[in-house]
Amino acid sequence: MRAQALKRGFVLHRRDYRNSSLLLEVFSAEHGRLACLAKGAKAAPKGRGALASLLQPFQPLWLHWVGRGEVKTLTRAEAAAPAIALSGERLYCGFYLNELLMRLLARDDPQEPLFVFYQQALADLATEPMDAVLRRFELRLLEELGYALDLRRDRHGAPIDPSRYYGYRPDVGLEPLLDPRWESVPEPVPVVASSLAPAALVSGATLQRLAAGSALSPRESRAARGLMRAALAPHLGPKPLRSRELFRRRPG
Amino acid sequence: MPGIGPKSAQRMAFHLLERDRDAGRQLARVMDAAMERIGRCERCRTLTEHTRCQICANARRNVSLLCIVEQPSDIVAIEQAADYDGLYFVLGGRLSPLDGIGPEELGLDRLEARFNEPELDEAILAISPTVEGLATAHYISELARCSSLRLSRIAHGVPLGGELEFVDGGTLAHAFAGRQGL
Ligand SMILES: [Zn+2]
Repeated sequence: MRAQALKRGFVLHRRDYRNSSLLLEVFSAEHGRLACLAKGAKAAPKGRGALASLLQPFQPLWLHWVGRGEVKTLTRAEAAAPAIALSGERLYCGFYLNELLMRLLARDDPQEPLFVFYQQALADLATEPMDAVLRRFELRLLEELGYALDLRRDRHGAPIDPSRYYGYRPDVGLEPLLDPRWESVPEPVPVVASSLAPAALVSGATLQRLAAGSALSPRESRAARGLMRAALAPHLGPKPLRSRELFRRRPG
Repeated sequence: MPGIGPKSAQRMAFHLLERDRDAGRQLARVMDAAMERIGRCERCRTLTEHTRCQICANARRNVSLLCIVEQPSDIVAIEQAADYDGLYFVLGGRLSPLDGIGPEELGLDRLEARFNEPELDEAILAISPTVEGLATAHYISELARCSSLRLSRIAHGVPLGGELEFVDGGTLAHAFAGRQGL
């Protein structure tokens, strides 16, 4: 028998299937998101732990599967590294990343750079400020999906001016606000727009810091969160992200 | 049905139809009554025929202890195996945003209300150590933070009689993190 080529992957989501099996949504480096059935994963062979304890989110895996249909059959799984140790709110952030991928990635569409960003984001989540990691991943996700958000220029092509405020709408882009009174408005104040398009208000300085990946103050973080929420909204549709509910005072 | 595949289900149906129709009718009556009468306990959310389950209504239980479990079947397991005389609260699952299960679905507002009851001293989390279970435990610990409640969780680790070399890495990591002084 030919040696099985193991592939890198993460479990994004799993649910029980029949008695002892698991139906997995896997994000694999080479194949993108795919559905995979882990037969008998919850049954523990004598003296050993069940495979189910390995097939969890945030566990880097080596995987092998067979099948050409919509749902593949998992034939092998091994730990590629220790599970990424997320705890408390960092776990919620991990769920948020997984929910984004479940909602925005089509099945069987390879996304190798995004896989690398995802793995990096999980690793960063364990140690870095959560907001910064989430914003960075959201920007890369939009870019990899072909909806890159240009944080360096406004909709007219002019460079972002750090002393100005900008209104953002996904269908319009970043619009410099002409009225100088805006400059004294504390962030974030939602720009009243049509009820269909979500909008955000953000300062040029915040845009520049976000683009550079610099640390953001709590106020800038809130504005950046509002901006990314507005940018993701048209792709996510009207159904709310459930992982955002877990943050009681500090939504993702 | 969990535990019964299509083949076994077919065998059961044929057995009742061919050999024991009385038992089949009896089973149908019991099932019908159970489906009609069994609801949720107003205190702990477990399954019961009454507004309060037997454990919540039992005056001899220790009201200063509350054990938080995922399923009614966990209560049965703990009652049979452990020497525990406190009360319970049934979540009905774990926080799992990707399955649409949030704080509301688990009745966590009611749990928070119970945390504020003065007779309660300690809450014990008996939730599986999956990532969803850990997230649930964290969320509940945040709910308890404002009260003077002591919060603990049952130990996770190497199964009794298990050999270390066969224990998976995640379990071993938990067992190390939760090590105890001798
Ligand atoms: Zn009860």
